[in-house]
Amino acid sequence: MTLRVAPKIWLLSTIAVGSCWSCAAFATLGEPESALKGESQLSAASIKLSDRGTYRVHEIDLPSGTVVREYAALDGNVFAVTWHGPFVPNLKQMLGRYFDEFSAGAKAARFDHHHVQVNQSDLVVQSSGHMRAVSGRAYLPQAIPGGVSVGELE
Amino acid sequence: MTFLRDPRFATLALLCVGVAACGGGSTIGGSGSSSTSTGTTTPSGSNVASVAVTSGPSNDSVNTLFTSVTVCVPGTSSCQTIDNIQIDTGSYGLRLLSGALTLTLPVSKTATGSALVECTEFVDGYSWGPLAQVDLTIAGETASSVAVQLIGDARYPVVPSDCSSAAPMSEDTVATFGANGILGIGPFAQDCGDFCAESIPEPAIYYACSTSSECTTTTVATASQVQNPVILFAKDNNGTIISLPSVATQGASGVTGSLIFGIDTESNNQSGTQTVVPIATTGADAGFLGTTFMGQSLSMSFIDSGSNALYFNDSNVTACTNANFKSFYCPGTTESLSATFELSGGMTASENFSVTDAETLSASFTAFPGLAGTNPQSMSFDWGLPFFYGRRVATAIQGYSTSAGTGPYIAF
Repeated sequence: MTLRVAPKIWLLSTIAVGSCWSCAAFATLGEPESALKGESQLSAASIKLSDRGTYRVHEIDLPSGTVVREYAALDGNVFAVTWHGPFVPNLKQMLGRYFDEFSAGAKAARFDHHHVQVNQSDLVVQSSGHMRAVSGRAYLPQAIPGGVSVGELE
Repeated sequence: MTFLRDPRFATLALLCVGVAACGGGSTIGGSGSSSTSTGTTTPSGSNVASVAVTSGPSNDSVNTLFTSVTVCVPGTSSCQTIDNIQIDTGSYGLRLLSGALTLTLPVSKTATGSALVECTEFVDGYSWGPLAQVDLTIAGETASSVAVQLIGDARYPVVPSDCSSAAPMSEDTVATFGANGILGIGPFAQDCGDFCAESIPEPAIYYACSTSSECTTTTVATASQVQNPVILFAKDNNGTIISLPSVATQGASGVTGSLIFGIDTESNNQSGTQTVVPIATTGADAGFLGTTFMGQSLSMSFIDSGSNALYFNDSNVTACTNANFKSFYCPGTTESLSATFELSGGMTASENFSVTDAETLSASFTAFPGLAGTNPQSMSFDWGLPFFYGRRVATAIQGYSTSAGTGPYIAF
């Protein structure tokens, strides 16, 4: 069946400020961070950039109130993303080509409705919370810069 | 006694890694399986619903609390009583799996005549389906025209890609959802609240569907969102109390207790002397409460009947090596630990708890007070159902008052 939903969302939801976030060329796990710079579609969200020596952090305050952080190594590739706030962000967008692996890993286990953890050698996704208050993170263990602790990914 | 190493468990394990021990339903009543019932007395009254910790309809649940509800087509005597409804203080509103529903309920409409359909974003999965109104009865409590969600309704089979971007898998059947429905009685009145009345999150929660497959995102007034049904009761509507017996360290099956509606509204739901833990309503930690553990203040903590273990991070507790128990703790012998709740006015309250080796839990049991695992969020301590054993836990809804204060708070 043809899914006719998505295109109409962008055309018709005039108050969906947050929706444009997902149509933006947003930096994604395993992808270059550069797409984020100067992204005009993100005007509704505020973006902060901080340099932590061996990596850079982009912090994006989404219109929904959820805060997303993206961790980019000096080579410019995003090795981790984190989120917390009232709404789950678009994980398919944030995890990019790793979303299907996350999905398969989650299906192979069985969780309660307030947790999910996928721990694989190339991908870790951890998410928890309850309705209206959620948080989580995803990272590529093999891409974390040397000397950086997973605990820094908040 | 059947242990998890039993070959029977091996076949269950794939289904149950995340919930760890997997109560194996076929041998309930094995040696030592009777529940203890110390620590609480059984309340009675029209505001008391019976609850039980069972293996659920999928026969694989542990530390999961169920009850039954009766729903009717509004204004009629066309009704259905549905069992295996999970009790969840970590969500808001009643959601019914269409696979468990024999009633045909009319779908709620928007002002322009489209169907109002929801994408519920649980952490482990998304559940898609229309809203409907029901007349609801739980124990002696009734409410008319309650907005609920019908998950997996065949009238709206096409899940928008936006919705399926929010979580790793679809949970639209009884088997994938793990219950015939979920009764969200947490400390908020609606599943989204003011934000969805004014704006649309991305991915969106609410959609207006003009046909079975053409849907656009929409705002929804709070009164038309899925409602925590407790606020719609004529009385006993300011919150709930879950009362469960204590459970032996090795676990038990057949654990039953009570869901009491109202706080300080009847003789059986008085606050008395208790610890009140406030829930933040603003800022980055809105919806969470504070727990201090190992000297660290964990600002994204919560107390939640819908979590099936205590989830926290302590590198001193041995993690399980068995792949079936990945992310759970296996300390060998039971360990006693302590944390503190952060109360108002800078006060704290100490809380002792135990961690039992997950691999020693019997597959014939459904309630394990010592089941604990790592928390995906380093700033969080999730006090799941084990916290509820042997006590009364009150959940006061935001904006509603009790003798102990105004919600949202959790008290015990």
